[in-house]
This record gives sequence, structure tokens and C-alpha cells, in this order.
Amino acid sequence: MEIDTLPISASMRGKLISTGYISLASLSSISPSQLAQDFRVRESEAVEILKVASVNGRVGNSDGFVAGAQTAWDMLREEEFASRITTSCKEFDHILGGGISCKEVTEIGGVPGIGKTQIGIQLAVNVQIPVDYGGLGGKAIYIDTEGSFMVERALQIAEACVEDLLGKGTAWKEFRASQPKLSAKNLLGDIFYFRVCSYTEQIALVNYLEKFISEHKEVKAVIVDSVTFHFRQDFQDMTLRTRLLGNMALKLMQLPKKFNLAVVLKNQVTTKYSDGSFRLTLALGDSWSHSCTNRVILYWESNERCAYIDKSPCHQSASALSAVTSKGIRSSTSNCSRIKLM
Amino acid sequence: MHPQNLLLLSPQKCTLGCPILDRSLAGGIPCKSITEIVAESGSGKTQLCLQLLLTAQLPTPLGGLSASSFYIHTEFPVPLRRLRQLAHSFKSSYSNVFASSSSSSSSSSSTSSSDPCDFIFVRPVHTADQLFDLLLKLDSLLENPPTELPVKLIVIDSIAALFRSEFENNPGDLKRRSSLFFKIAGKLKSQAERFGLAVVITNQVVDVMTSSEGINGLKIGNLGNLYSSGRRVYPSLGPSWAHCVNSRLFLSRDEEILGDHVGSGEYVCRQTRRQLHVLFAPHLPICVEESLRLSFASVFSSEDRNNLRKCTKSVCLVASKMKVWRASRISLVVVIANQLQMLGYGSMENDLQQENLDLCQRGKFWFHFLPGDTNRRG
Repeated sequence: MEIDTLPISASMRGKLISTGYISLASLSSISPSQLAQDFRVRESEAVEILKVASVNGRVGNSDGFVAGAQTAWDMLREEEFASRITTSCKEFDHILGGGISCKEVTEIGGVPGIGKTQIGIQLAVNVQIPVDYGGLGGKAIYIDTEGSFMVERALQIAEACVEDLLGKGTAWKEFRASQPKLSAKNLLGDIFYFRVCSYTEQIALVNYLEKFISEHKEVKAVIVDSVTFHFRQDFQDMTLRTRLLGNMALKLMQLPKKFNLAVVLKNQVTTKYSDGSFRLTLALGDSWSHSCTNRVILYWESNERCAYIDKSPCHQSASALSAVTSKGIRSSTSNCSRIKLM
Repeated sequence: MHPQNLLLLSPQKCTLGCPILDRSLAGGIPCKSITEIVAESGSGKTQLCLQLLLTAQLPTPLGGLSASSFYIHTEFPVPLRRLRQLAHSFKSSYSNVFASSSSSSSSSSSTSSSDPCDFIFVRPVHTADQLFDLLLKLDSLLENPPTELPVKLIVIDSIAALFRSEFENNPGDLKRRSSLFFKIAGKLKSQAERFGLAVVITNQVVDVMTSSEGINGLKIGNLGNLYSSGRRVYPSLGPSWAHCVNSRLFLSRDEEILGDHVGSGEYVCRQTRRQLHVLFAPHLPICVEESLRLSFASVFSSEDRNNLRKCTKSVCLVASKMKVWRASRISLVVVIANQLQMLGYGSMENDLQQENLDLCQRGKFWFHFLPGDTNRRG
């Protein structure tokens, strides 16, 4: 393929040929900044040229780029613009790289009473923050398997969120009047709440989710609290459990990619007997631990709640302190609240 | 499958019988969830449970569930005598409630009134498998209640007794034990959800040997360490069971020896302090502490002045009956405490109606001088 067959402007084509870039192969190994420097064009234009070159090169190439495959370059650009859901705690957001990512499955686990349900409710409320205020303006699906979702607590957190948002406005009263939709009741009304009471119901619901979300396109977060409760009962054979969990994991992993939403799973802890002593690990075993993109473990450290990134492909292991207040999850106010790199 | 409308969901709460305790629990014990009460023996778990069995029968405006209750017990002896005492004083404090319910059923006799004990079903279990079978049979009872009030409260007292003797301390048995936890808890939660029940389970404590901090720590709840009777304790049955319950309350009990007011040196005044802590609950984010007082009529908070006054009056009436009020103040309170244990409480109030006022005032003065309950029964 030659340069003169590319669909770019004539002046650009002339510049390329005069500088010595005759074939596409020579363009394939150049970086956009170098190209921009050479031709004194803007970097965005250089990117465009390279993109066009790569697309055209692909079409005629018989080495077989699979149709629909994305280059890593495209994925990187997409990731920079990917939206994230804030957790209302700055340190926690920071170690997660800005918040819960909307294209990944995040698993949050911890001992009982540490605040997993609180984080779930906070995320279900935060995903609804309107786009004007820096949020996603989407709805949430909350799947409750344990019965820990308390409506009065959700109302409390929603009211505090509304207060925080509207309090930021310069003309407070005017803002409040112009945003009649932003009320705690409306926030609660946009959370789709499902209660499941057995593992068969849970699997059926996860299978149904795809259809439900395609009917309700505004859903931007799916929160499952917790994914382990019904699977810790005695199964007649463990292979059945592994198969069911694998299927469920697969379905849950497809949702973020297809609908561009965030999936947050809650997990419990269990003691693992290894080397003669008991250690705390997340439940459901090692095969489940492959299913999630990110894993966060919550634990207590001298009366503070600490969040620790256990597994993440792009963030390093770090821990951050957070607190659960009457308004929901907020930054911890202790003196030593800083991010610790492990 | 359809999502539920959150704005229509508002779970009922069952009052504990004391408005201050209810306030610290944001209304009482919530329905559709499992609440666990963890305490050492002798701290008042069973008393609290028996009181709940009775307050559940109150109509909804008074904070009750207007429902019968189911009491599953695993420890013997069964506190039936105590239940009758509580029912008797309960009926007299809420006489308008029970009189009205009887007048609707039978207009002829005015003296017959419904007994609160008619609405309490008691059942013993001995093993965990028996408990699970009982829960399966409970479905039919929940759908067709034998009395006019539906069953809305299940109390299991206590769950620890079922599991602590059957299982060895090796990984195989522990795994079997924890899968039983989830089976039972799953069944209870689905019944609670379907019928709108409140479930209360009591648990025991074990002593703590190792540290509970850090990422491997088993610390649960915001309390640094749980102390009861001066020892560091931890709820029994481990972290697996802790995942099965929705909320956990802890009753601590401490014996405090009051200072050296004693002249004769024979009697040492011990004061038992009981406190209610919230370890974790999804709707109560802040850990709350409330001092409890147990009287022969009810369990109530130390700050509940109405109940305190009633308790004070009755105790000083007792004191006058025994004619030992001339003794020194501190020793008197101890003696009263011991005597009350031997006497039955139901008959007391009828005999001692005619005492004079200054005695009551003196009784009040004693109580203010020694703020605290020296005996858990009165």
C-alpha cells in the first residue's frame, strides 16, 4: 500500500512523500509526537494520519486482523475517557485511580460490620449524581441476597449526598429551586432493588440482567450484596458449585463490556487452614478470585477502616483509610490519614 | 422478576419496651432481618428475649408488631416461671390493650382477659439438624397461624448451645458446621423476607487469646475489644456465623465494687453494670452504648425515669414489709436484693398498696444514693 492511496489531504500527502515516508510500513513504527515534530502539525492530526494508515493497512493485509478487534492504542484512548464512580472518600478514590471504573468488575470483601453494605449503598447513590455535577447520571441495580439493605439508611445517605451537591452551588437557593429532580426520594426511586432468597434465584436474576439492562439503558452500576451468601451452603457436589459460579462470573464479566457499566460484588471472608494456622481470605475459593478485575479488602486497623487493593491490573497495592459516618462513606478524619503504599 | 419499589418498603420495628433503648436502636428490632444478641451468661439475654416476646403483641401504634411469637430454646431449664411473672406485670402495665381485646371477643364476662402467654409458642430443640427441620415445618405455621395474631417474631435462645458440643475442632467438622450456619441462616432469612418476620438469636461469648488487629485480624465492629466481667471476650461460633446475621448487639456485664463507705465491714456492696452496645448494624452506623437495668417487671434503660420510679417504689414497699429498714443503708440494699430473689414478685404489688409516702421517699433517696442495680432480678 502506498501513501498516495491514503484518504488524507493532498498537502499532507505531499509532505509525507517529500520527507521520505513512501510506504505504510515506514509509518507503522513512528510515534505521533515524532510525526508531529517532523511535519510541524498538531499531535491530533498526526494521530489521525496514523489511524487512517493503520485502518487502511489492515483492510488489505492478509495476515488477518480479526474484524472488530481493537488496537491497544484505541483502548488506551478509551480508558482515559472512561467514567468512574466516586466513593465519596478521596483516599479511597485515589487508590482506585479515581473511583470505581465503569468497565470492570470490582470485588470488595471484608469482615462483617466493616461497611461493605454502606459502600454499596453509597455507590448506588453516587452513580446517580447528575452529569452537571461531575457524576454519571445513571441508575443503579442493587441485588440484595442477605437482607442488609435498610431503606432508612439509604434515605439518610441520599439526603446527605443531595445536601453535599446542592451546597456547593454559589446561589444555593436558586440552584435548589432549579433542580427539583434532585431529591433524596428521586434518588431512591432510581435504584432498582432486587431481593433474592436462594442461589437459584440469584443465578436466574443474573441471567435476566442482560435483558433488563437492555430495556433500561440508563443503568450504570450493578451492585451485588453479597455474591457469596447463598453459595456457602452445603452443595452435594462441589463441581456443581464451581460450574454455577463460573457461569455466573462469566455473565457478570460480560455486562461491563457490553453496557459500559460498573459491576461491584461484595464478598465475605473465611478462614483458610494453611500450614497449621488459620488465615483470613475472601470466600468462594481460588477459582472465583480469577473472575474479578479488581479486588479490594477492607479490614480494621486500630479503630480505623482500611481499604487495601489486593489485586488490580493497573493500580499498585496500596491502602487507604476511610470512615463511615451518618452521611455515608467519607474520608477518615484521623491525624494519620494518608495513603500507604505496601 | 420485578424490582421492588424502595419508597414503599419501610420495615416495621418491634419495640424493646423501653423508649430510650428503642431510640438507640432507631426504633427497635427491625423486621425482615436477623438480629443477634451476644452476651455472657447472666447478662440478661434471656430476659430481653422474654420481654420481646411480650412487646411483640402490642399494637403497632405502641411500637409492637401486633403478632404472636415463636420461642425456640436450646438451653434448659426453660424460663417459663419468669415468663409468667413478666406476662403478669406486662398485662397490668398495658391493661387497656388487653381489656379492649377481650371485650371484642366476649362481652359477657368482664374479668376474663386474654393472657399474653397464649400468643407465645415455645419449642425445644437439641441439635442443629432438629432446628433446620423445625424451620421447615414452621412454614405451615406461618401461613396458617392458630391464633388470630400472625406470627411475626422468632426468638432462638441460644444458637451457640446447638453447635458447641457436636463438632470437633478439625477443619472437616468446622467446614460442615459453617455450611450448616448458612443453611439455617438462609432459611431464616427467606422466611423473614416472605412473612415479614423479625428474628432474634442469642449467642454466647468465648475468651480471646490472640490479637485481633491487622489484615488477618478477626476484629468485628468498632469496639476495640469487647470486655465483659473484666475479660476480653469474642462472640462464639466464629466469623462464618457473623456473616449470617444482619445486626449484632452486645450486652456486657461488669461487677463493680463500690468504695469504702462500709463501716461494719461485713457487707461489700457490689454493683452490676450492664451495657448494651451495637457492634454492627446496617442502619446504625455509630456505635451506641446504653446502660441497662433489669427489674422484676422489665428490662429498661437507666435513664428511663418512669420505670425507675416504679422500680424504686416497689423496692421500698418490699423493704417496709421486711422491717429491716433500720439497718445501715448499704447493707439494706444488699439484703433487699437477696430477699427479692427468694420471694415471688407477682403477689407483692397487691399486698403492699397501703404504705405511707415518706417511706417511698426514703426509698427513693436510697436509690439516688446508690445509682445501680445490685441484683439482676429486682
